[in-house]
Amino acid sequence: MNLPSWWQLEVTAPFKLGPRELPGRIWTASGCFAYGLHAHDFRAADGTSPYLGVGAVVTKTVTPLPRTGNAMPRLVETACGALNSIGLENVGFEDFLANVLPELEARGVPTVVSLAATTPEDFGPLVRRLHEHASGFAHWHGVELNLSCPNVAEGGHDFGSAPATVARCVAAARAWLPDRALLAKITPNVADIAQLALAARDAGADAVSAINTVVGLDVDLRTGQPYLPRRFGGYSGQAILPIALAKVDQIVRGVGVPVVGVGGIAEPEDALKFFALGAVAVQVGTAQMRDPFAAARIARDLARR
Amino acid sequence: MKPSRPATRSALGRVTANALVSSAFLRLDLELDQPFTFLPGQFVMVNEPGPRSWTFSRPFSILAGAGTSLSLLYRVVGRGTAAMASLPRGAAMQVLGPLGEPFPAPVEGSTAVLLGGGVGLPPVFAWRERWGGPRDRAFFGARDGGEVPWEMLGNSWGISVDRAEGVPPGRGAFTGVVTALAAAEAGLAPGDNGVVYACGPAPLLKAAARLARAQGWRCWVSLEEHMGCGYGVCKGCVVPVREGNGIRNATCCFEGPVFDAANLPDLGDPSVLPGTAGGAA
Ligand SMILES: Cc1cc2nc3c(=O)[nH]c(=O)nc-3n(C[C@H](O)[C@H](O)[C@H](O)COP(=O)(O)OP(=O)(O)OC[C@H]3O[C@@H](n4cnc5c(N)ncnc54)[C@H](O)[C@@H]3O)c2cc1C
Ligand SMILES: Cc1cc2nc3c(=O)[nH]c(=O)nc-3n(C[C@H](O)[C@H](O)[C@H](O)COP(=O)(O)O)c2cc1C
Ligand code: FES
Repeated sequence: MNLPSWWQLEVTAPFKLGPRELPGRIWTASGCFAYGLHAHDFRAADGTSPYLGVGAVVTKTVTPLPRTGNAMPRLVETACGALNSIGLENVGFEDFLANVLPELEARGVPTVVSLAATTPEDFGPLVRRLHEHASGFAHWHGVELNLSCPNVAEGGHDFGSAPATVARCVAAARAWLPDRALLAKITPNVADIAQLALAARDAGADAVSAINTVVGLDVDLRTGQPYLPRRFGGYSGQAILPIALAKVDQIVRGVGVPVVGVGGIAEPEDALKFFALGAVAVQVGTAQMRDPFAAARIARDLARR
Repeated sequence: MKPSRPATRSALGRVTANALVSSAFLRLDLELDQPFTFLPGQFVMVNEPGPRSWTFSRPFSILAGAGTSLSLLYRVVGRGTAAMASLPRGAAMQVLGPLGEPFPAPVEGSTAVLLGGGVGLPPVFAWRERWGGPRDRAFFGARDGGEVPWEMLGNSWGISVDRAEGVPPGRGAFTGVVTALAAAEAGLAPGDNGVVYACGPAPLLKAAARLARAQGWRCWVSLEEHMGCGYGVCKGCVVPVREGNGIRNATCCFEGPVFDAANLPDLGDPSVLPGTAGGAA
């Protein structure tokens, strides 16, 4: 693409986020690239790796105990997007610490660890253990608190939709995370997302990630029932780009906290729109599922040299 | 011995042929912009190239491939496959693959019983092309004679049909389920070390697993589950598998699509835990 003249950032150059320097501004979003270990042997036609130029892999959200996730089916393709109801299936925090994070470190994958818990106070011990275990890791750069998953019964939405709860989660994590970036991933399914961002900033978050999926539903006309057993799912992909841009704009202009933009990014142009609004970095979610090279391609295409 | 998986490539394919090979199935031949290798049972994720393509790519088993050529066999069922069917020669297609766990290679001294149903033909067809020996037996089941790609299968496949219409003159087809045909005609002697390789709709896989259990054979099946990513990252395609005394989720795209039937409670093994059957569709 032809890059616009206002475009000044170097997306593959290191940049500061809170106490930490991250290697680049094009990231993969949580839940859409697993733990960042599945595509190391993949190659594009020009021989490049899907990790080339990727500033961080935000890992699939891990919870204190392993989760088996929701009943199938868990995915529905819709016009211009998809609904998911994965239900945070993950290996659990201890397995992640023992087996996944060391592998990411060994492979040199820049990592932001996504965490969820059922009460705000649970985040403290999790982050503390993470820090004790991995403080020497060179490639572990930060923590993203998932305060916005629509697909779990306990907590989930209602959990992260109160500013006071967001503040408690962030404060609990910040206390044990002196030297890594702390991000709060917030939900778009509230009246005023800026209030959540404000609460996160005041409690010590270095940035907010916005947005998580939008609550949605689709009906299977053969049965007259919703496709997903839990009826609602998280809507993502191309269709939510304007929603995400609007939410990011509300946060940037209303609160001034650094924002990592996520939602509907598939092409370099999409990412540029977030940067135009003031996002400091972006994440690629659903598009990374379709194409493991999506984030790497965007990073390459936005390079100014 | 498990062969190690060939490396996954992201390639751009050009359509060299795309035509009906029976009343229901089309064969799509692609010329890729780079060479790749695959093992029977592996699949590719395909998509329209370009920025605004389908949200999810579509999984298809590899029928054949060598160097830069790749062939798929497919049936039109929805909007993606309808779009594929209208691709002219020269049209471009994005391909990610090969992906997934292949069928195992033959074990010394064993005899393969290959079972394909409907669009489940490609993995077993590819197995036979790659590894088939003179003692192995291959069977294909279709709804009627018109659906059968007679020319592609030649004379060495046992054919079964639900309805006899459309069977060309001079060609024989058994009327009934393909596993009944296989049970009657596999021609294995007692004590023969049979191994079943099956791909097709759920009833076929269940019957294949039952047949194998009754004969004391090993049985490998390839499953179809709706997929988001096809490479193990989204957890959108999980199937229950037995592990130790319990059941866990396995990703159909990464740990499968080929599984040992004995590990799949949904295939009706009597030793399953109660209440777990019938989950995967
Ligand atoms: C490992 C694997 C191998 C396969 N191999 C073949 C093959 O060789 N030949 C062939 O004709 N078909 C094969 N299928 C099924 C094929 O993927 C579907 O027919 C195809 O995705 C339908 O797409 P659509 O857009 O036409 O249907 P739509 O119903 O419009 O698709 C909507 C969504 O549902 C998914 N979907 C629909 N039907 C299926 C299905 N049966 N299995 C998985 N996902 C589905 C689509 O991928 C898409 O995400 C295979 C499936 C899997 C999982
Ligand atoms: C299959 C799937 C799984 C997801 N899992 C998580 C998750 O575990 N944690 C999380 O914070 N967000 C999760 N998300 C949300 C994405 O990270 C992202 O916020 C959202 O999909 C919007 O971006 P996109 O349009 O680029 O996909 C998931 C999204 C999808 C599609
Ligand atoms: S389709 Fe995404 S994990 Fe299997």
